[in-house]
Amino acid sequence: MTIKIAVIQFPGANCDLDAVHVLNDVIGVETSLVWHNYFKEADFDGVVLPGGFSFGDYLRAGIIAAHSPALDEARVMLKDGRPIIGICNGFQILIEAEFLPGALLQNESLKFICKWVNIKVINNKTAFTHKMKQNEVLAIPIAHGEGRYFTDNLKELEENDQVVFRYSTETGNYESAANPNGSLDNIAGICNLEQNCIGLMPHPERASEAILSPKGTEHGRLFFDSMVEFIKRRIR
Amino acid sequence: MTKVNLSGEEVNVEMTKEEFEKVKELLNREPTITELGGFDIMWSEHCSYKSSRPKLKLFEDAEKDYDYVLAGPGQDAGVIDIGDGYALAFRIESHNHPSAIEPYHGAATGIGGIIRDILCMGVRPIALLDPLRFGHLEGNPHSQWLFKYVVKGIADYGNCTGIPTIGGEVEFDRSFENNCLVNVACIGLGTIEDFEHAPSRAYNPGDYVVLMGGSTGRDGIHGVTFASRTLTEMSEADRPAVQIGDPFTKKMIIEATLEAVKTGYVRGLKDLGGGGLTCATSELTGDGNTGAKIELRKVFTGEPGMTSYEIMLSESQERMAFIVKPEGLETVLDVFKKYEMTFAVIGKTDDSKVLKVYDGEELVVNIPAKALSESPTFRRAEKRPDYLDHLLAQKTPEPTINLEEVIKKLIASENICSKEWVYRQYDHEVGVRSVVKCGEGDSGVLRIIGTDKFISASVGVNSKHCYLDPYEGAKGGLVEICGNVIANGAKPMAMVNCCNFGNPEIPESFWYFSKSVEGMNDFCRKLRIPIVGGNVSFYNEDEVSKTAIKATPQIMIVGLIQGYENIITLPFKQSGNDILIIGETKAELGGSEYHSVIHKLEGGTPPSVDEEKILARWNFLYELYQNKLIKANHDVNKGGFIITVAEMCFKNKFGADIDLTGYNFNNLRDDELLFSETVGRFIIETSPKDFGKIVDLAKMFKVSVNKIGVVKSKPEISIRGLSQIVNLNINQMKQLYDSTIPNLMEI
Amino acid sequence: MAQIEFEIEISLENKPAARDPVAETIQRDLLAKKGYDQVSKVRSGQYLRINLLADSEEKAKELITKMCNDLRIFNPVTQILNIINVNKV
Repeated sequence: MTIKIAVIQFPGANCDLDAVHVLNDVIGVETSLVWHNYFKEADFDGVVLPGGFSFGDYLRAGIIAAHSPALDEARVMLKDGRPIIGICNGFQILIEAEFLPGALLQNESLKFICKWVNIKVINNKTAFTHKMKQNEVLAIPIAHGEGRYFTDNLKELEENDQVVFRYSTETGNYESAANPNGSLDNIAGICNLEQNCIGLMPHPERASEAILSPKGTEHGRLFFDSMVEFIKRRIR
Repeated sequence: MTKVNLSGEEVNVEMTKEEFEKVKELLNREPTITELGGFDIMWSEHCSYKSSRPKLKLFEDAEKDYDYVLAGPGQDAGVIDIGDGYALAFRIESHNHPSAIEPYHGAATGIGGIIRDILCMGVRPIALLDPLRFGHLEGNPHSQWLFKYVVKGIADYGNCTGIPTIGGEVEFDRSFENNCLVNVACIGLGTIEDFEHAPSRAYNPGDYVVLMGGSTGRDGIHGVTFASRTLTEMSEADRPAVQIGDPFTKKMIIEATLEAVKTGYVRGLKDLGGGGLTCATSELTGDGNTGAKIELRKVFTGEPGMTSYEIMLSESQERMAFIVKPEGLETVLDVFKKYEMTFAVIGKTDDSKVLKVYDGEELVVNIPAKALSESPTFRRAEKRPDYLDHLLAQKTPEPTINLEEVIKKLIASENICSKEWVYRQYDHEVGVRSVVKCGEGDSGVLRIIGTDKFISASVGVNSKHCYLDPYEGAKGGLVEICGNVIANGAKPMAMVNCCNFGNPEIPESFWYFSKSVEGMNDFCRKLRIPIVGGNVSFYNEDEVSKTAIKATPQIMIVGLIQGYENIITLPFKQSGNDILIIGETKAELGGSEYHSVIHKLEGGTPPSVDEEKILARWNFLYELYQNKLIKANHDVNKGGFIITVAEMCFKNKFGADIDLTGYNFNNLRDDELLFSETVGRFIIETSPKDFGKIVDLAKMFKVSVNKIGVVKSKPEISIRGLSQIVNLNINQMKQLYDSTIPNLMEI
Repeated sequence: MAQIEFEIEISLENKPAARDPVAETIQRDLLAKKGYDQVSKVRSGQYLRINLLADSEEKAKELITKMCNDLRIFNPVTQILNIINVNKV
């Protein structure tokens, strides 16, 4: 059986084609770009909510897309354990649709930030991180204006192993200089309780080819390789 | 403002009385008010280039001898064939006047406009570049406000539409205090087939005219005539001419347009910009040798009760006009429906060669389709300014501080320091094409996915040099911008320009324009670079103080690199390697940062260009590239070559032992040698074992190459061979380089 | 004369003639699609609440207007300033 992945195209998504390129051409898994109104969960084994500015990020990033019929479809996948990843704006949508807890607020600097950062793997058991090593530091770029993670229930998040990534230095330290947007506890990405759904602000699809990486790394591939492997195991 | 008599009523128009008479002569009758509005806008300086056209004739055919040029000047964008079935479109234009009043929306809608120009060539916009000019930031809240919100406007619009901003340039100078410059450039990529599907003309009678995108409102009526006047002439009432940008709708227009073009049923495409529907329909039919009937009330309006005049001339953002084959109308409309875009079939083309617009039963426009583009031209007087002799004669005073202090001041100066504060706010990576990113090279380098080809793009010019000598300054700008793409390993393929000048009715201001155009034309023809497009912004002049901006003929170059291994970057790679300088340094401190930062001088002898020497250096570099002899390359720009060396040290925290004993063969003063901004020089890093080979090649190509030092691991630069020893700590230099703009802006 | 503390609520929004893409999108893509078609118009803006000392309500309003103009808290080219409420604290 061939594995099929959907990248959902919300109005205003702009990293949709990038994700499709990496999945199809770099990872080599059959991936379709699907307009949000046309998305049917039954056709796919996994789904990517890509980055961008869905509905212009008007009102609040992710809030209008969270009401798209695509999220009702995705909710079925969430329940039956199929893998779902939200990248950047996709993460904002997952939060607004309450797939994931917390909130993403405007960056501390009040400015959009585009730069390569380092994140440390905290939970390497999820559908998208099981090919990573715990405490491994990944080089990956961010590009967002509203990415400051906040929750009023940090303790529970930590106890449930829902913190997946933290911003760190290259050597894995949590200095404030390593936290680009002022996220609570340096949190860069989280998952649901069942660990089949993750959201993160950094862009793995921009870090999957050595040609695009300042240091020639391809850490972004680990996300998608993990997803494919996770799907294969589920199917078996 | 002129008063003319229209059917017994007095009407205010921007055109002259003579132009009004010409309208009547063309039509053989009095125009209707809607027609007159159309002529008034289309014959404005901004739309018709009536002052610049006679001079721009020089560029005519400048692209003709190049088989890879698919579209040249006069089109919405220049287009070149880059092989493998791909076409590259690019254009640069100005949005100066709106940005000076409302920097955020002015800059944002500037980006919106340039994206539309590229999109209407049928290709996907893949990169933006923005050269900017402001007054000095230090102690100037107004300049800080403009700078902050222009950058934010560009960032919010570019980021939201998913088009990476891969480059740009900014200069701060007193002359831009009241007239900032916001120039915007865009590059588009598509297949040659896509491009051929979307000509900007309606050449086939019987096709549908479809309007798609945002609704037509009262915003922006007369935006164009407004841009053709100086700011100080303008009243408060003119001000709502500034538009509100809507990047989300633009993103949807991009996707819907590209998908519609892919259906193969689109036969023509035009964006609605200055002059609105009037401009779009008349250009489509006029250029296509057809005519059209338009039903005005089919246009979807944003507010009730709009007059025919308002609907035809509204410049509401985010709209596109399509010419659609009859058999494909349903297919194309289905695409628009998928994206939930508003659209309306507003008319049909015919073979009448006349544009007829009906408001219900009433014929409100009935003009030959070509009439609007037949504006009269003006031959403007030109005169070299008297003050130039005095400026050029200025001598460099003896420095009162030591060279170390001078270099530190220079590297921290507004025009030389790091612009990271700007490009961190731009998403410069979306699209997964950015291989050489902002701050890592002289140009932005993008890959063409699916090929082993890379494009390199850079934009800029030195306004201070152009102020002293616009002819040499424009040529120098070309040397510099071509040098940027060459430093990254590319060959310059084509050029577009954006001419920013003062009031063309003032002979001194027009002289600057005239000489700059001559300089660009002469250089491009000699060095065989096709000029494929241009834009002119006049009236950047402060009427009260009677000062124009410093002449700024912005130049954008697009280059091509074949093969990933042939991309060169600027950071030093290994200690022990040689540091070589290509090209001699002449006593050319005129218009330099050294003069303005250290001596508060604007004059002196500016750099001049020797095309033969420049060409020899480029060919020499290509030869070195082919033989894989270059590890790093950075072209020498503002502040002179020591600044260049320091920038090459920064990324990998290297240092350099510099010895200038053998290089000062022109017997220059220390400051002349170090800080002259002689154009066309490069600093390259090479392996010591290749030195002999490089020297031999240099002789063969008749190029001056000198070893001036060695890369070292300790992060410091030491310079010998001058009247004083100079030692610079790289970490301290980097700190100075990085902190200037954040310190001025983060208050 | 002793100064009085006022709490002043102001809103900044686009001029009526200027477009408001944020509000248009909220109305079209959220409210109307989710069935709230009773909504005929939405306008967006920013809200600020400022406490200050002044001699009188008039003076307080003057100060707020001057402050917002001088510091470009709003841009009069595209936006309007509304003083919604002035309350004594």
